[in-house]
Amino acid sequence: MVFSSLFFIYIFLLLCLISYWAVGSLKYKNFILILFSLIFYAWGEPVWVSLLIFSAFQNYLSGRLIEKFRGKAGAKAVMILSLVLNLGLLFGFKYTGFFVENINLIAGTSIPVPDIRLPIGISFFTFQAISYTVDCYWERVNVQKSFWKLLLYLSMFPQLVAGPIVRYSTIEQEIDERSVTVEDISYGISRLIVGLGKKVILANNLSVIVDSFFGGELGGVSVLGTWYAVIVYAMQIYFDFSGYSDMAIGMGRMFGFHFDENFRHPFLCKDVTEFWQRWHISLGSFFRDYLLYIPLFGKRRPYASLFLVWFSTGLWHGASWNFIIWGLYFGIFIFMERQLGKKRMKKIPIGIRHFYNKIVIILGFGIFYFESLPRLGGFFRNLVGANGNMLVDEVTKLSVMNNLFLLLAALVCCFPIGELFGKLAKKSEASQIAVGAGQIIFNIAVFLTSSILLVDATNNPFLYFRF
Amino acid sequence: MELNQAKQPAAEAPKAKRSTERRIALLNVFILGVVFAATALWTILGERPTMSETENRNLATFPEFSWESYFDGSFTAGIANFFDDTVPGRETFKHLTATIRQYMGLQTEDGATIHMNSGNQLPDQEEPEGNDAPVEETVPVIVTTTTAATTATQTTTSDTTSETESASTTSKTTTNTTAASNTTTAVTTVNDGQDDDDGGELSNNILIYKNRGIMLYGGSFNAGRNYAAYVNAYKADLGPDVNVYSMVIPTSCSFYTPEKFQYLIGSEFDNINNINDHLVDVIPVDAYGVMEAHKDEAILARTDHHWTGLGAYYAAQEFAKTADVPFKNLTTYQKVVKPGYVGTLYGYSGDIKLKNNPEDFIYYIPNTTYTTTYYNIDMSNPRYGNLLLNLDNVKPVSWYLVYLGGDERVTQVDTECKNGRSLCIIKDSYGNALPSFLTASFEHIYVIDMRYFKQNAITFMKDRGVTDVLFAMNSFSATGSNYKKLETLRTQ
Repeated sequence: MVFSSLFFIYIFLLLCLISYWAVGSLKYKNFILILFSLIFYAWGEPVWVSLLIFSAFQNYLSGRLIEKFRGKAGAKAVMILSLVLNLGLLFGFKYTGFFVENINLIAGTSIPVPDIRLPIGISFFTFQAISYTVDCYWERVNVQKSFWKLLLYLSMFPQLVAGPIVRYSTIEQEIDERSVTVEDISYGISRLIVGLGKKVILANNLSVIVDSFFGGELGGVSVLGTWYAVIVYAMQIYFDFSGYSDMAIGMGRMFGFHFDENFRHPFLCKDVTEFWQRWHISLGSFFRDYLLYIPLFGKRRPYASLFLVWFSTGLWHGASWNFIIWGLYFGIFIFMERQLGKKRMKKIPIGIRHFYNKIVIILGFGIFYFESLPRLGGFFRNLVGANGNMLVDEVTKLSVMNNLFLLLAALVCCFPIGELFGKLAKKSEASQIAVGAGQIIFNIAVFLTSSILLVDATNNPFLYFRF
Repeated sequence: MELNQAKQPAAEAPKAKRSTERRIALLNVFILGVVFAATALWTILGERPTMSETENRNLATFPEFSWESYFDGSFTAGIANFFDDTVPGRETFKHLTATIRQYMGLQTEDGATIHMNSGNQLPDQEEPEGNDAPVEETVPVIVTTTTAATTATQTTTSDTTSETESASTTSKTTTNTTAASNTTTAVTTVNDGQDDDDGGELSNNILIYKNRGIMLYGGSFNAGRNYAAYVNAYKADLGPDVNVYSMVIPTSCSFYTPEKFQYLIGSEFDNINNINDHLVDVIPVDAYGVMEAHKDEAILARTDHHWTGLGAYYAAQEFAKTADVPFKNLTTYQKVVKPGYVGTLYGYSGDIKLKNNPEDFIYYIPNTTYTTTYYNIDMSNPRYGNLLLNLDNVKPVSWYLVYLGGDERVTQVDTECKNGRSLCIIKDSYGNALPSFLTASFEHIYVIDMRYFKQNAITFMKDRGVTDVLFAMNSFSATGSNYKKLETLRTQ
């Protein structure tokens, strides 16, 4: 079940909200959330919902044992064991096939490559589980004594399958004590609709453009067409991913939870380092807190950790070499920026900095798109016309023209429009009312437009049969 | 466009502002709540459609429960799919979606838009050096002639009969009129994997230009050589007494693609010539030439991927000339015009310009006497029917069904022509429009679809004493995946 579907919005979410608000005490509200979260997960993973429950139980038990053996070697052993189990699950389901493929490639063996289907959201809930157990060990959070409450934290459906990676510390108190004001509900609704619009109106339609250029043979795509498509792809991924995060944050707020931001207008960054402080923040901070700051390679090799982080960031996104290259690619630029130093970076004219980081980021998305390495090579050749492709072609011109308003809307939405209106609203009561009214009209328009566009989601023209 | 997190709700804000903020929040919750509830009620309680006219298919049904389907996830996925697929007012919303998409950008004066569902692919027209042989080899098929398994006695009267898919064998008779009531609707149930060969006849990439949908042809000389080899094998199997013809039919892209988009398409002309160059003892029928000569007339549908009755007439005329058989002039036919035709390309491209600019669907009823017998694809269940179906109860998108009523059947037309010639047409859907123009040209016409026919084609033709075989399919079929089915048909 995906958020951007009519069934989720009009059946699942509706029933969940009614049930949640119908019960009085927090205990029952938590129960309703656990129930709906498990239904949500079991809807797509009727078998592997057991994995989610197992993961919750394993980490619950680890937390309790860490507390029991606090100050003793046993606590560390439990934490390490839990880490092995968590990462083992992730490796087993996500990377076994990739690992075997590469072993076969390197060693010339022919070990059968297992065809393991990846349980939805395993990368997200596993990282949340790791953060909880490690934080318990580091005494950053209190050990949760109720299994059900830990299950609620790990399984909460708004952030279960597409993030953000919510730290236990973020919602630790709100599990036991939270209230929902009308402002919270209003904010949650608005945020949910913004996310829905980003996904359905922007990302889905941008993806049609991208697929029309990159879906087939790249030889037919002109130089400008390749640049155009990869820029559109960068925006598509941003609106897709941040749209999901918006919906998660919005729904969380409706239930009284305050999740941290996951995206802060990443394309406004002045350098690559800043881009990653604005893009998928919860993942970046996870690696920063749980991998980068651990002196695995000793103090003499501080940059080894940096590259390990970027190797892991790439690998986390998918079991494919292009993702690893993608991660290391960003690692190289961040390493270079660190070598250069903040002061020297700031001395570079801002226009050049923007040009530099946008090129790096956009090319990075090209690496992200092409999982096949030969096609990735073709993409880079296309960018400079080395495939013998045209500089510009009619399809590109026509695509820009036919999608001009969509592209402009996407471009504008990369900027902090919401914040701008937020500031405007604070100027006077009249402007507050005007912005509020505008927000309501915007919400209705985006909600209805998204719903209409979602009707076409099952479009499946079947025109050949019998003809 | 992230909103402010507002984790600390304006604690220091003046009381009046907080009060206003609260009122706005209340209004937002109330109005959005009402909109949400109303839309939810509509989607849950409204009448759910069961078929999509635009997409020409039955919509999803509520899945049946089984533990197996539950554990493999298909049951729950099926429920969500049922809900999403059968939203009340679906067709209206789909048209709205197409309209919204049109307003996402500017339109050129000529209304050009390209819908590329499988990527921007330049045609591969390179001729591999030193490779002139077919990629796949054919082996002769030896068959022994048997008596026709099915016979149906009939008399020609002026009665009419209705035809449905489930019609059983009957002694009712039919004639050249098409006034029969007909309830056939071209409805298809989507079934994964059921239709692996969509690409055989359709292109994923469609150019909309001046309110015409143009499928972008790629072409393949290698595939063309294989097609020729397969057709040659039929000739070799059938022997010198049977004339074998190849008619590869061009599509809109050859005649209506503007110069600036020509680089997107392969040359149907070159591909057809390549096929003809590789035919051995098989006689090519120049459909391209005759259609090009009449390209200013409505020979190919604007909104559909098929040709029109007029296009089929000119091609049939060219075939009759090539085969040296009599042929009736178009003036002897009864012309039927049905306005409001929006064919398959609207559903396929989702381009509202096609929906907003329907065309006339025109077909021609021959003024000759003949009987039509339909069989299932395994030659069972013979029943009489109309060569041209009554379209009164057929949705506009499916009006091409007027010709033979579809593909999954075998058609036999017995005429009053007495020239000792019997024709078998092996075809894709383009070929469906040909028989009605040949009722004065052959004594018997057999029509089999290469994609569905279940018997051996050589045996079938020998059993019936066929003297002429016409391969009639469009360029996408001949150089796409469909040509392979010719060999299956010959050897199965």
